[in-house]
Amino acid sequence: MKEALATAKHAVMRLPELATDFLKNSIIGYLFEAKSLSDAVIYTKYWILIWGSILKFVVKLIFKRGPVGAFRVIRHYPWLLRFFSTTKLLRRLSRGRKGAYLESTALIIGSIALTLVEKLEEVVYQPEILLINEDLVPPEIGMAMGLNVWLVEAMGILLPLIHSDASLNFIDEAENAGMNPDACSFVKAAVGMIVKNQQPIGCAIVSSNMPCDAGMASYTYIQKAYDVPIYRLDAPYNFHGERAETLFVEDLKGMIAFLEKNTPGRMDWDKLREICEGRNRMVALELELWDMMRASPAPLASEAVWLSHLWHFYMFPGHKEAIRVFERLVELARKNIDAKIPAVENEKYRAVLWNPPFPQFPDIFNMVERAHGITLIMDSMTYNHHDFIDTSTPDTMLKGLAQIIMHGPMVRHTRGPAENYLDDIFRCYKQFDLDMVWVANHVGCKGGQAMNGILREKCREMKIPLLILDYDLVDPRIVSHEGMMRQVDDFMETVMKAKRPAPAP
Amino acid sequence: MKVFQDLLETPLNDLVEQAVADGRIPIGYSCSFVPEAFLMADRLFPVRLHAPGVAGTEIADIYLSNFICTYTRSLLEFAVDDRFDLLGGWVFVPSCVHMQRLYDNLEYLKKPAFSHILDVPRKVTAATLAWQTEELRILADKLASHFGVDMSHDSLNAAIVQWNRFAAVISSIGELRKPPEPLITGTEFHRLLMAALVSPKDLILPKILDFKQEIEKRNGIGKFRARLMVTGSHLHDPELIRVMESQGGLVAADLFCTGSIPGFMPVDIETATDGDPIRTLAEHAFKKTLCPRMMEDFDRRVKTIIDTVREYRIDGVVIEIIKFCDLWGVDSMPMVAALRNEGIPVLKLEREYALGGEGQLRTRVQAFIESMGK
Repeated sequence: MKEALATAKHAVMRLPELATDFLKNSIIGYLFEAKSLSDAVIYTKYWILIWGSILKFVVKLIFKRGPVGAFRVIRHYPWLLRFFSTTKLLRRLSRGRKGAYLESTALIIGSIALTLVEKLEEVVYQPEILLINEDLVPPEIGMAMGLNVWLVEAMGILLPLIHSDASLNFIDEAENAGMNPDACSFVKAAVGMIVKNQQPIGCAIVSSNMPCDAGMASYTYIQKAYDVPIYRLDAPYNFHGERAETLFVEDLKGMIAFLEKNTPGRMDWDKLREICEGRNRMVALELELWDMMRASPAPLASEAVWLSHLWHFYMFPGHKEAIRVFERLVELARKNIDAKIPAVENEKYRAVLWNPPFPQFPDIFNMVERAHGITLIMDSMTYNHHDFIDTSTPDTMLKGLAQIIMHGPMVRHTRGPAENYLDDIFRCYKQFDLDMVWVANHVGCKGGQAMNGILREKCREMKIPLLILDYDLVDPRIVSHEGMMRQVDDFMETVMKAKRPAPAP
Repeated sequence: MKVFQDLLETPLNDLVEQAVADGRIPIGYSCSFVPEAFLMADRLFPVRLHAPGVAGTEIADIYLSNFICTYTRSLLEFAVDDRFDLLGGWVFVPSCVHMQRLYDNLEYLKKPAFSHILDVPRKVTAATLAWQTEELRILADKLASHFGVDMSHDSLNAAIVQWNRFAAVISSIGELRKPPEPLITGTEFHRLLMAALVSPKDLILPKILDFKQEIEKRNGIGKFRARLMVTGSHLHDPELIRVMESQGGLVAADLFCTGSIPGFMPVDIETATDGDPIRTLAEHAFKKTLCPRMMEDFDRRVKTIIDTVREYRIDGVVIEIIKFCDLWGVDSMPMVAALRNEGIPVLKLEREYALGGEGQLRTRVQAFIESMGK
């Protein structure tokens, strides 16, 4: 009785805090803050879309599996409950934004909700044709073979976006199971989910030597845990040139043969053509967007660049929803360019972020926009020099995909020679007329860490302001959000000579 | 034994200096996927890169960061300190990200006259074997062009014969560890082996043969409580083995980069494909090197450990991992489970490249031996 009273008292004491939190993160709070009626309408539209997607998934689950079956699914994948907070993510990332820029943010989160539901339905309702892919193995081939492709590491990105602590128990689980604590937390999170049996199993696995040693090595454990056949792609170190392309195309053909032998999938070259042409369309639209991003001030920024690419190119290449998103992003950018409206009202600095963006603290881009006028123009997971895939024949399509894989982010940067890392940064810096380079200095990324010395010296030579921001990809315990912001503030004050923003009340 | 210890005091020892004075060319290498025999052609000779007595890595830390394995940091530190200036060239493999970045930073800081990355694939198929063969051919051409050395088939065949002779001697000494009453400790064997890897083979072989004659006359090496096998990352300092053995655990078998299992199986030139020594060396490198960088080799690694445990009457396996090594760090997770499933006691040790924390190491090994009931 005493305990119950204490709990009730605690709950009552927390009411003001909960109310503040509710107003801060809810749609009601937004509607009070909305800068215009049109912003309120846009926000509400995507808020409804997101909740509609979530409820559609839940209702369909209950309908198809019954209440008990639905409960079993949730019990197997308890992280699904995190997605009830997706609108909080919308609220956090859209703070202070308006007009086309607000809509671009909401569009991407809405699209993630929509396509995620589609992906989750594949996992739940069609497990017999589920192919497990490592995150940098593109899904095009699996999709063209009539398989549903699940990226093991996808939840390692998505869950911390919604709640920064979402991966912690998985990380701890992996370490308790014997994984080295200094391994990349992204890999630990994926492995931890498997240790806890919270990932779908699938009929086969395709992994690779990308992007790093920990990622590659983790698939030994994953394959033993799943006990399904595995194929491993091997991108050469010297991946430029015909010789490397020939080797890797053979590897892709081996992958197809493996999948035809071990899964119900059968290659449909017409379907692959359709997917590749859809992907090409996305690339064309993205290039158009990048062209507009070169304008100063930029018409869009941040999630319109990195999250749009990360989710849609890696998970849904060629998908009609992905194409629609990029078409709309181009329209929104053009709208702002024509009306001379900047994404960030007070754009003072243009930045590129090198190494994967901060999944456990995506708010940082929004916060630095408002605090310092820093616009995130580009990031390394997005920036590439891919050509369009030549869809004339199966061989040309495989060659195109091979080039995309081998020249992919992290692969060409951290697995390849240093020139790939450095040349890309400086090329991007020039191409987008930037003011600074940020390095997301993930403590578990050895390939990135070991380039900082050279990068510092090169940037000094070229008088490029460089911020090496220490943090952990998906573990906020290593460096707190406050600690990350402090590093930004210190950099802005000492290097950029900008006034330190007033502390938050 | 002191002669081998002395040869390990410096990164490039007296025998290396003697060979250089005779007009020969030392080529530094860091990975077992570089065939030693390949680097023994004509006037070339291989020197396994090591950093004995490294006291700190202050400069290397600036460039490579504190989160990179201390082996690569130690090598970079020594390189920046001009400790490797006698080397004619460097041959690396993209063994791991740390090694790749060592190469990148070395190129940036020292700009060596000759350095090369041998792009060894991470799995073995017909296509990757052909790739590896081509990679060696490219390296052969580069070496020939830069140093004016003979990298022809005849020259490589002669080098292989020489290497096989050397490997046979090492293997025969390694065999002396198998019996219940071995004639050589793990420390002695590792000193000998490391000295052989960092010296010209022809110059050290007579010393090894003398030593072999000496130990064959031994009655024994004393009593040990348990027989251990050590596997894992680069292990260059025999002192680490000595500390383990000081607790009563005889290190009777080794499976690491600079170990002998299965690293000294002979190169089979009798049945060489098309009589091509380069292809033979490519095949041999894949067969004799067991490393977690090879994506599909886990089962073979585990089987080799289990077979060695049976063959060498091993009581327990020590997996030693240099801190920040993702390959061994992550690979050890299923490996420990697989070995324990076979009833093999396992101790997983995290360490730095240079011996440190000797007290803790002693305690852990002692406790491990006691836990086996020995």
